[in-house]
Amino acid sequence: MNDREGLERGYRRLLACYPREFRRENGEELLGVLLSSAAGGQRRVGLAEAADLIRGALRARLRLPRQCPPTVRAAVRLMYAGAVLEFGILVTVILTESSVRSAILARYPGLTAAQWHAVVLAHLVPDEIGAPVVAGVWLWMAWANGRGRYWGRVVFAAIFGLSTLSMLSALSEGAVTFAPADLLAGAAIWVVHATAVLLIFSRPSARFFRPNPNARFFRVAGSPQ
Amino acid sequence: MQEATFLILTALAADSQHGYGILADVSQISGGRVRLRPGTLYTALDRLRGDGLIMVDREEIVEGRLRRYYRLTGEGGERLAAEAARLQANAHAALSRLNPAGGMAT
Repeated sequence: MNDREGLERGYRRLLACYPREFRRENGEELLGVLLSSAAGGQRRVGLAEAADLIRGALRARLRLPRQCPPTVRAAVRLMYAGAVLEFGILVTVILTESSVRSAILARYPGLTAAQWHAVVLAHLVPDEIGAPVVAGVWLWMAWANGRGRYWGRVVFAAIFGLSTLSMLSALSEGAVTFAPADLLAGAAIWVVHATAVLLIFSRPSARFFRPNPNARFFRVAGSPQ
Repeated sequence: MQEATFLILTALAADSQHGYGILADVSQISGGRVRLRPGTLYTALDRLRGDGLIMVDREEIVEGRLRRYYRLTGEGGERLAAEAARLQANAHAALSRLNPAGGMAT
């Protein structure tokens, strides 16, 4: 394998980060310009080149289609904000862990050490493990809704319904007394979620979310099979 | 309009150019101050094509590789002219305030 082949392989590996459509349209041409721009005798992809290609790939992946209406663009931004807030919750939970522990102890003074440990775990672990997962779901929903996926809108609304029920249930169990900071963060996320749902179900967004006629799941009774 | 976009459109204002030519021209137009990298250029070209500001003029195969020439669309020309006029008006306002007598500020 000569130097040029090794360099080309390195570029191709980085080009794989771009969306398939972008690669199909620009991949070979971009590769040609990369090889033309490479210094004579260059054997490996430089750090700055790699950073530039990764940044370009990220931009290409995050870019919304031109026909995406402003309401959906705003909703997608809120979904990114939701992901950021989830990470915020994770940090909040970690920072307020000691106050949650003391609040539980004050609320249930008769607990044995094992019971107390179990209650603490039940309150903290779901947030600590769940927050990064939920942040990933927010990003996934931003991707799906930003591309007009009909199922994305339905799933996002369903998640909103479930999270509202879960929040009401936590409130009825007195979670508010444990850590007000957690409640505030939860309320902020709920408002972001509610606003994004309203935006993607608004009239200007409707045309962007057309059900895929080939998707069996969304076929209504009586429609052509 | 971002400076990189302005410079790419300017590079295509007089004639069609291929990717490598645009990189070199952007550097020349900006006096070497802006050096675009291929990843940044092609992300911008893809976006500008999607926005209808540039289009593919022709394609060639050179040494077994695709070489695509881009040119401004009518809308791209209008946007570039509007942006150039805006920048010129701003520059004029700045210079006239720096030197109300009419001479050049140093």
